[in-house]
Amino acid sequence: MADPCPDSEPTPRTLLRRLLDTADPRTPRRPHRTGAGAQKTLLETPSPRRLRSQTKTTTRQWSYGAKSIGRLAHVQTSGHLEKQTPRTLLKNILLTAPESSILMPESVVRPAPAPQVVQSSRRKSSQGSLELQLPELEPPTTLAPGLLAPGRKKQRLRLSVFQQEVDQGLLVSHEPRGNADASSLTSSLNLTFATPLQPQSVRRPGLARKPPTRRTVDVGVFLQDLRDTDLAPPNIVLEDTQPFSQPLVGCSPSVHHSLPCPSQTEAEDARRTACHRTWSSGPGLQNNSPGKPGQFLTGTAEEVDAFALGFPTTSSSVPVEDGVQILQDGVGEEAENRIEDDALSVSDVKEATGVQEHTRAEEPEGHTEVTEAERSEADLSVEDEEPEGSSGIKDTSGRTASPELTSSIPEFLQTKQLHQFLEPALLPSATVLSSEPQLAKPPRPRTTGPRPRQDPYKAGLSHYAKLFSFYAKMPMEKKALEMVEKCLDKYFQHLCDDLEVFAAHAGRKTVKPEDLELLMRRQGLVTNQVSLHVLVERHLPLEYRQLLIPCAFSGNSVFPAQ
Amino acid sequence: MAFLTTVPQRKRVKWKAPRSFLKRVFKRRKPHLRLEKSGDLLVHLNCLLFVPGLAEESRTNTCENKCGIINKEHILTAAKAILKKSRG
Repeated sequence: MADPCPDSEPTPRTLLRRLLDTADPRTPRRPHRTGAGAQKTLLETPSPRRLRSQTKTTTRQWSYGAKSIGRLAHVQTSGHLEKQTPRTLLKNILLTAPESSILMPESVVRPAPAPQVVQSSRRKSSQGSLELQLPELEPPTTLAPGLLAPGRKKQRLRLSVFQQEVDQGLLVSHEPRGNADASSLTSSLNLTFATPLQPQSVRRPGLARKPPTRRTVDVGVFLQDLRDTDLAPPNIVLEDTQPFSQPLVGCSPSVHHSLPCPSQTEAEDARRTACHRTWSSGPGLQNNSPGKPGQFLTGTAEEVDAFALGFPTTSSSVPVEDGVQILQDGVGEEAENRIEDDALSVSDVKEATGVQEHTRAEEPEGHTEVTEAERSEADLSVEDEEPEGSSGIKDTSGRTASPELTSSIPEFLQTKQLHQFLEPALLPSATVLSSEPQLAKPPRPRTTGPRPRQDPYKAGLSHYAKLFSFYAKMPMEKKALEMVEKCLDKYFQHLCDDLEVFAAHAGRKTVKPEDLELLMRRQGLVTNQVSLHVLVERHLPLEYRQLLIPCAFSGNSVFPAQ
Repeated sequence: MAFLTTVPQRKRVKWKAPRSFLKRVFKRRKPHLRLEKSGDLLVHLNCLLFVPGLAEESRTNTCENKCGIINKEHILTAAKAILKKSRG
């Protein structure tokens, strides 16, 4: 065997090995030597490893021991006493007996060699040739305990302590702990000891789990925080952490609160069903006004001033008519025509004129904020001046007009609002007027037409606008958001046109998912590499994916059906 | 029952598609056309693919101008390019 690297600690094991290796096996039985040689090789292969890795865990040794025990058992059972020489016996001991035995190392080891020795002695008597060997072997065995002491003090200690404790009848579990001081070996041994035992948590009652510290929620602080956050309206729209929170439908109700006075007047205005349409848009638009009254005010300061002068003077029809005239001039002829028509149907002449302006105002869009700002101003200032119930109308019309109203007609101040009022009422349908008030919300007279177009439309668009701000990852101006909504509007236009064309091309009147797929293919989103299903999987949540991609279910059914 | 009415452990869809809104928009523009059942979901998918493209483009424009805030103009220029691209 290779020279065992002389470790600092010559253990009895190593000594024995050396002896076994160096000494000639003087057995007359040559054939058995092969067996011994095999065993020797077996011994040799683990031995260098053991020598080199003595500091490593003894698990390997354990395993070797286990393996070798098996072999040994086999050998012992198969091998007759005759075959076994003291050398082989000792080798077996080395193989099987670990450096530190499990329970009773000494008792195991010592009796083991003892009977072996006894047997060997018996054999010795039978085989005289072994006599020589025995004395060789015996001294090492006798030397071993002596050598053990200086060499492997730790192990020796362990064994001795172990034995003492075993004698004392202590639990095995305590021993490794008592023995384990510093060496990794001991710790590793402790591990092997500890594994079959109870977990540490049970053994150490001192390691108590801390009771979960729970802080009681301070409701007062919490509410105050809520209030604080409410009070701060961000001027710049920052990106959302979540792309889709609830769509901002509640903007209208919030505006209601901001203008309680107009609402009162509106309540009177049950007959003004048309106002409902503009109403809804009004509050929605007025949402912007508090945010940007300044801007628009500055922009339309001149016009506002002009009317402001007229306003405080009289609330009579005189300035109204003047305003109407101005409006007419500004608006155009079409408005006049409409105005005439409207005027006939409406009882109030003033309102009729106002409606004219309204209708005209409706067509050009875009300066809603300006008008809104004016209107809001007008509303607040006019309320006390409005003698008639039309004041309520005025407010609502003012608001409703805001979306349709054009900034080009900024003259629509309080007085004008009266007229503007009528216009939405007239436009949708006079017949609807009567039925309208019975509809859902009394303070909001409803119109079928433009209102759903404006408010929910904007709400839906804002849904996507929020998504935009999420993906932008940068702060955005509010104007930019409106621009985004306009872009989305255009996008939807294009989309619908394309879908119409595709459906017509297929001779259908219903737009099917195939048309959608064709559209996406033309847009370059769906390619030969990327199919529609892949996109659906990537971007849509599971619920929608289930609806779109046919999937087979039990009972020979596919959903959605193809 | 062929399909699962509810997804287990999940009763709320995080990002809902405004289905009624999309249907209404389509109806309003093309009243003579009909949109099929899951068609609006695909329209929503289309929007979900369109909006980040627009956002990315506008972000690029903003960064080019070395602004910290996205402006109208940035979005306008971005929209021109993207709408043209997604014309189909």
